Amino acid sequence: MLAYVIRRLFAGVIMLIVMSIVTFALFFASPIDEASFICGKNCSAAQKKQTSAAMGYDDPFAEQWWKFAKGVVQGRDYPDDPQLRETAPETIVHCDAPCLGYSRERGDTVTNLIKDTFPVSFSLAVAAFILWITGGVLLGVIAALKKGTVIDRGLVGLSLIVYAFPTFFVGLVLYKFVAIKWGLTEIPRYTSIAEGGVGGWLSSLTLPAITLAVFFMAAYVRMTRSYVIESFQEDYVRTARSKGLPERTVTFKHALRAALTPIVTMAGLDFAGLMGGAIITESVFNYPGMGKLAVRASQDFDLPTTVGLVVLLAAFVIIANIVVDLLYAVIDPRVRLG
Amino acid sequence: MAFKKPLAAVAATALAATLAACGGGSDDGNNSGSSGGKAEKGGNAIFLVGVRNVEHWDPQRMYFGRDLNNSGRLFYRSLVALPASNDKVEGTTPIADLATDTGTTNDGGKSWSFTVRDGVKWEDGKEISCEDFKYGASRNFATDVIIGGPANYLFTYLDIPSGSDGLPEYKGPYNKKGQDLFDKAVTCDGKTITYRFKKAWPDFPLSIAQLRYMDPYREDLDKGDANNFAIISNGPYKLDGAWKEGTGGKFVRNENWDENTDPIRKAYPDTWDFREGDTDEAIYEQLLADSGDAQYSVTERRLPPALFSRKDEAGDRYTQVESPSVDYVLPNFNSPVFKDANCREALKLATDRAAWIKAGGGDQYFKSADSVINPSVPGYKSNPAFEAMGESGDPDAAKAALDKCSAPKPVKIKFTYSGGTPTSDKQASALKAGWDKAGFQTELDPLEDTYYSVIQKPDADFDVTWGGWGADWSSAGTVIPPLFDSRINLTGDSNGNDYGNYKGGPEVNQMIDDAYAEPDLDAAADKWSAVDAKLGEDVAYIPLEITIFNFVHGGKITGYANNISVNGYADLAVLGVQS
Repeated sequence: MLAYVIRRLFAGVIMLIVMSIVTFALFFASPIDEASFICGKNCSAAQKKQTSAAMGYDDPFAEQWWKFAKGVVQGRDYPDDPQLRETAPETIVHCDAPCLGYSRERGDTVTNLIKDTFPVSFSLAVAAFILWITGGVLLGVIAALKKGTVIDRGLVGLSLIVYAFPTFFVGLVLYKFVAIKWGLTEIPRYTSIAEGGVGGWLSSLTLPAITLAVFFMAAYVRMTRSYVIESFQEDYVRTARSKGLPERTVTFKHALRAALTPIVTMAGLDFAGLMGGAIITESVFNYPGMGKLAVRASQDFDLPTTVGLVVLLAAFVIIANIVVDLLYAVIDPRVRLG
Repeated sequence: MAFKKPLAAVAATALAATLAACGGGSDDGNNSGSSGGKAEKGGNAIFLVGVRNVEHWDPQRMYFGRDLNNSGRLFYRSLVALPASNDKVEGTTPIADLATDTGTTNDGGKSWSFTVRDGVKWEDGKEISCEDFKYGASRNFATDVIIGGPANYLFTYLDIPSGSDGLPEYKGPYNKKGQDLFDKAVTCDGKTITYRFKKAWPDFPLSIAQLRYMDPYREDLDKGDANNFAIISNGPYKLDGAWKEGTGGKFVRNENWDENTDPIRKAYPDTWDFREGDTDEAIYEQLLADSGDAQYSVTERRLPPALFSRKDEAGDRYTQVESPSVDYVLPNFNSPVFKDANCREALKLATDRAAWIKAGGGDQYFKSADSVINPSVPGYKSNPAFEAMGESGDPDAAKAALDKCSAPKPVKIKFTYSGGTPTSDKQASALKAGWDKAGFQTELDPLEDTYYSVIQKPDADFDVTWGGWGADWSSAGTVIPPLFDSRINLTGDSNGNDYGNYKGGPEVNQMIDDAYAEPDLDAAADKWSAVDAKLGEDVAYIPLEITIFNFVHGGKITGYANNISVNGYADLAVLGVQS
């Protein structure tokens, strides 16, 4: 088991290195002159050249990547100019290891940007997760238990319709009608616990969390329903019934428990993916999370932020995958890792 | 304004706009544009920044009209500034702000002196000194740290020689290379600062009233690039906590600002909340509904076309302002077709401005332009070269001109434009229809993010392209040379802002130099107008239109004014909120 974990972690690190190289390569393959964006509208060729040098964009591609990788391990100074360190040390920003870079557009280290935006994405992910898991699983179980009835058909039909609506549409409808036109909630603006207390924090999450949750909820209703129905057809359920166990025990102790295992695994992976930021929901509601940061970084050709977010998101997914694989081994004795 | 987002490009730093409340479109420049009753002290106001985030709050790095205006009204003062006025003359004439007067020159503008007012302080209570101004000016020269500002103008004028790299030999206060050169060019004598130039700069006071590159700065608090969003205030408000890029920040009263020293800023609201990131649709849905926080809000974002039909819901909260910029198309002088003057003449005569405007939404959004110089800039005259083309072009005359064009017929041309939106594609198609009617065969080439990177390459293969520009201060000297002076633009691997690769030659160069050297500003304006006429003769550009901004502000805003002194945007110096 330990050897398996080490092997998977090693493969994960290789994957992260490859991801960062690919992001660098894509950035430099683009025909856009990124120094122009920073240099401004009335920038001479000499200034542009100097801007490019100050941003490190005139170094060879491999050297830039190497400096990035070294920064992750050792930390890095911005700008890395020995002369400036002598004459004006106060103008140098030190970025501690693991340093993912320094964004000139945002005037901060990528690590700090992630520290600022992660709580927003995480809050949103948690609130949405609670909504969709409770709603999705509960309604899915009800549909399965009432299989073939009007309730079942209604729930399945409804979830199909909701599933078909894109997230940005749901978000815009909630924003425009619920918040602005009908005034049922405040105009959503992210409020941290420090600013608004737990109440303020929760209420600021209502509309975006619903937007994010309905899509997942619809999927989970259908998924839970089919797992539970499948589970009721298993041999062990028939055995339990034939032993004369009460229907309640059969349902909750045998059928549901078995059906929920794959759902928990799926939910774990979906949650890990969302921690990296819900791009559409954050953009619609203007929530300063990692998803919105990623969109803006790509619009501004902000390489350090883009690379930092890609690497972090990849790390989330890789770790979640390893955890899920390990959990399988714990939950299901048929799975052996080694 | 060129880089960053092409659509935002038109909202450049610049001079001014005229305003007509509620859809008039008058251009006499004297409509008050104010609404919402008299402003009074107190309350909390909100500025909705929208999707175009603030790029710099560092005064030496700022170069975007909205941010230059807002910071100047709320927390940055300069030696001289423009009063809150919508009068075409008063609103563009500097008055003393941190200085005791509007500056003195004894040599026709070759050197300028200002004396710093007594009793003016930074937010921490320290007196603003002459040295602070000198230090602020010096930061422009640290071109590897203080990036993005309008320092180029200072490099052209300040009496410091340039090195082999084309940049001044003084390298700024961080490494102090060439410090003695700077110390000679800018001197402090007690509270009096003197700037010495290589050549006369008659409208220097106007340039420092409209840009912030000569603002004072605190050497003891300077952290270079890390201060990009730091605000060291000397105006009525200071930042409460840190500015969060992408979210915004909150401004509260600065107790060390003395209103008796300040002739411009009324500072009515107790706080200003700057909010970044909302889409135009979100901003305007709230402003039209006039509910919640939106009642206390103003914005520089414009009413999106999709919501335009609802403008009447806003009543007198809706205002219209002409943009300080001009949009135009340019033939590429490096293209085999448009090397020939007859082909350029044919293109000009075939250009259908009316169709372009109609495709863009009509006269609520655009007004036809007849010069690259905006009418609000001194020196503007309708360019005679474009009178013959009429509003919709002259297809017959264009055909006749095209017959003389040496390019093989049909004349195939490629129009590279800033695309990516249905409107821009419709507008480009409208121009193509006009050109094709005259006998051109136009290929449309819409580009998005790569647009400027492509058209700035001298060897790019387009025949016609698009540009938009506004003056940096009220002088055509900040329009014509940045766009058409080949000596500063055409530098081998880039054409700078001279996207059409126009080379005026000795005659035009001399005219530009003469206009620069003219100490009398009215005479200089006439000289710039003469250069513009010559550009028209050569068909260096073809003017299209001036964008019209449609704004809505919150119902609890008082003293709202779209003043010429802040390019027609909301003047934060004088507005307040109902408590």
